[in-house]
Amino acid sequence: MSHAATWAFRVRVAAAAATSRHVPAQVARLPRVSPYVVVAAVVLVGLLLFVAAMGARALLAPKAPTRAKLTTYESGVDPVGQGWAQTQIRYFVYAFLYVIFAVDAVYLFPWALVIRSTGLGAASLVEIGVFIGILLIGLAHAARRGLLRWF
Amino acid sequence: MTGTGEQVLFWVLGPISVLAALGLLFAKKAVHAAIGMALVMINLGVFYIANQADFLGIIQIFVYTGAVMMLFLFVLMLVGVDSSDSLVETLKGQKVASLLLALGLAVMVFLAIGKVAFPPMKGLDSVNAGTGNVTGVANLIFGQYVWVFEITSALLITAALGAMVLAHRERIGERPSQRTWSERRIRENRNVAGLPAPGVYARHNAVDTPALLPDGTPSQLSVSRVLSAREQVITPVRHVESEHDIEHEIEEGRDR
Amino acid sequence: MTALITSLPTEFKVAQVDYSAIAPMLIVTAGALVGVLVEAFAPRRLRYAAQVGVALVALVAAFVVLVTVSVDAQGLTLERAVVIDGPALFLQGTVLLMSVLGVLTMAERFGGESPDAFTPMGAAVPGSPQEASAMRAGLMSSEVFPLTLFAVVGMMLFPAAGDLLTMFVALEVLSLPLYLLSGLARRRRLLSQEASLKYFLLGAFSSAFFLFGAALMYGYSGSIYLGDISKAITSASGELDGLLIPGVVFLLVGLLFKVGAVPFHSWTPDVYQGAPTPVTGFMAACTKVAAFGAILRLVYVGLEANRWDWRAGVIAVAALTMVIGSVLSVTQTDVKRLLAYSSIAHAGFILVAVLAFDKLGVAGTMFYLVAYGFATIAAFGIVSMVRQGGSEASHLSQWAGLGRNHPVVAAVFAFLLLAFAGIPLTSGFTAKYAAFSPAIAFGGRAGVSLVVIGVLCSVITAFVYVRLIVLMYFTEPAGGEVVAEMPSPMTTVALSIGTLVTLGLGIFPAQVLSLAESSSVFLR
Repeated sequence: MSHAATWAFRVRVAAAAATSRHVPAQVARLPRVSPYVVVAAVVLVGLLLFVAAMGARALLAPKAPTRAKLTTYESGVDPVGQGWAQTQIRYFVYAFLYVIFAVDAVYLFPWALVIRSTGLGAASLVEIGVFIGILLIGLAHAARRGLLRWF
Repeated sequence: MTGTGEQVLFWVLGPISVLAALGLLFAKKAVHAAIGMALVMINLGVFYIANQADFLGIIQIFVYTGAVMMLFLFVLMLVGVDSSDSLVETLKGQKVASLLLALGLAVMVFLAIGKVAFPPMKGLDSVNAGTGNVTGVANLIFGQYVWVFEITSALLITAALGAMVLAHRERIGERPSQRTWSERRIRENRNVAGLPAPGVYARHNAVDTPALLPDGTPSQLSVSRVLSAREQVITPVRHVESEHDIEHEIEEGRDR
Repeated sequence: MTALITSLPTEFKVAQVDYSAIAPMLIVTAGALVGVLVEAFAPRRLRYAAQVGVALVALVAAFVVLVTVSVDAQGLTLERAVVIDGPALFLQGTVLLMSVLGVLTMAERFGGESPDAFTPMGAAVPGSPQEASAMRAGLMSSEVFPLTLFAVVGMMLFPAAGDLLTMFVALEVLSLPLYLLSGLARRRRLLSQEASLKYFLLGAFSSAFFLFGAALMYGYSGSIYLGDISKAITSASGELDGLLIPGVVFLLVGLLFKVGAVPFHSWTPDVYQGAPTPVTGFMAACTKVAAFGAILRLVYVGLEANRWDWRAGVIAVAALTMVIGSVLSVTQTDVKRLLAYSSIAHAGFILVAVLAFDKLGVAGTMFYLVAYGFATIAAFGIVSMVRQGGSEASHLSQWAGLGRNHPVVAAVFAFLLLAFAGIPLTSGFTAKYAAFSPAIAFGGRAGVSLVVIGVLCSVITAFVYVRLIVLMYFTEPAGGEVVAEMPSPMTTVALSIGTLVTLGLGIFPAQVLSLAESSSVFLR
């Protein structure tokens, strides 16, 4: 393994060791690092990769700007007005429904973890059923009003 | 006790979130304010995770920086570019008075909370070790706080209904098909071949450039009504002026 | 206190539900959901009848269940999240009865096809061809009925919330539909949309205050339950006291906003003016009931132990509310704004009763809410009937001489105004008596001075109302045909009930008053 690959492997293992308590025997030999160091390292590597990629592009790419090349579209239909276009209000409903179901999904994650447990399983199934059922009524209303049809 | 790593994290991310929050308040452009807000929310998520509330941290990023921020950006996109904040004070002295009151409130809150001697932190270790973070949250949501959880669905369906009422325009009658349009054109005998397309090729190929009629006059039918209303339709003057530039560029391209 | 935090139940425990206690809320919720389904699946021509029917049946059924079943199921249920006790039952019943009247006035069509007060299409640009064609096509915003029912659910839960989290969610459940309803007026659409936006922004702001306060209280006591907070206050060691006062202040800001107390009142006139008139009536009556119910529970169950720390602030708010509400009502030229300022003043009068800190204060508050609510719905019902050239004649000058052309309408309105003023033989008088007497008996020197201010302010508002009555009867019409539309039986019933309750509570208040007194003990 190259040096970099070993290092990445170590970081991954250390991250795993930080989150899980079932540490495999082979991993336990590695020096323990504070999870914060791991996070900091990952952030640093991320920044480095970004700078390297952008820097390499800036250094390697040929540059010969003309006015025509600097327009937003070098060929094709010329853009009109400014880059800011007003969207129609109709698309707002989609965004809004997405938020509603994102909130709904928040409850689904913990539910998915407990659905198999005894005692909690049946009760939480009923409870989440009521919750999602109510939301589905709202979605049915939106669908019947033709929101989900494009034309 | 707080570890060194946690302290470093706090002192790095804390100032960033404060700066981002100030940017949210003082940014001139709404989009910049939104980006500042997204930054604050991501930082909050990191803080939650650092405080052992993994689930809350992920949800913070998932729902707030994901969904809610998207909603914010949608609202920004609904706002037209030429709409600017009205800075006219309808109530005289309101700005000064509200600023003073807000400062007073802030001072009161900081003084009161600053006096508090907090007991030593306990952390969530015991809870997280017992059932695990997410399962613990599930036990609370589906057990002790089930009523709040269920009544939240009433809130969400109200929101869905409200979005429909305020933003959805129901179609009245049938949408005319392409066939209907063309039949109507022929029956009325107007623009039978369709409206003229905009753009003068080799000059300026854009929707704001009216097509030229055989006699050289621009055809108003070829540009969208919206652009005419916004006075964004191009006049020939600009082309005459830019002729020199274009020729220069053509020359430049040939010489290379 | 931190012991409470470590004792977070990690084991799962199924919440115990006393279904007979929360049955009324469940019925109204079910009604609202059926309403949404009707909206989705019923053909357009049946929607109006179906929606009004579903809403009325749900509300009446909930009330019947409330007085027959839930009264015997008092107690804390759903892991202490919902407290069904005397005040909760009384206020829930009040909200249900008033919302029946509210729905009846909202359903008024004045001979048209759709509810007269609401726009046919909320999403259309005001004055656009699309709006006109929606009107021609007979579209209607019949979603207002399920939205109203959702608001009622929140209003029923608000005074029965046993913890701050439930209280917050209830606050949102009741507010969100109201924000929407305010923006759906058929006439003066821009004013209506502005009202909706203002209400929403300021409401969201006040909710944030409430939430901040709840967080501080949790930090202080380690619990969100009102009973635990009260215990924590009495047994506190003092280390965390810095969290208590900001917490209380922020919680009260959030709730006082909802009742429209000064200095959190600035939304009231704009929203009352812009919202569809029947919605204004519903909102003015029922939101006040729910919000004062929540204030009563928060203050009497949760925060009474340290009331000496924050009482002075609320006394100042009450005094300011009465003075500003009544003084500014003198300068109003619009009937709806006038009634809005009057409602601010009334919020101040009710706060006087709240500040008595006694069982009788609770009873006085609840009685006042009943008296004010029924009169208000009827008053706004009449405002929606008076028209000039098809739109509501809300400017005061248009009301000149109404008494000659429409003696009955003017007489009823005059009677309701007298009730607002607190003239004997109306519910306003008995209510003011019920609200002020416990303040004198138990409020100490502050109570007495508040009552003095209250009486002086009543005189000011009485002047305003009498001026309006004089305008209706003794002034020549300014010109232009001002008519009172012929109401449908539904509105007639609502107006009659509102007026009869106002009269009945003025002459025979004893039964309702004793009911309020017997149901004024909070469970904790």
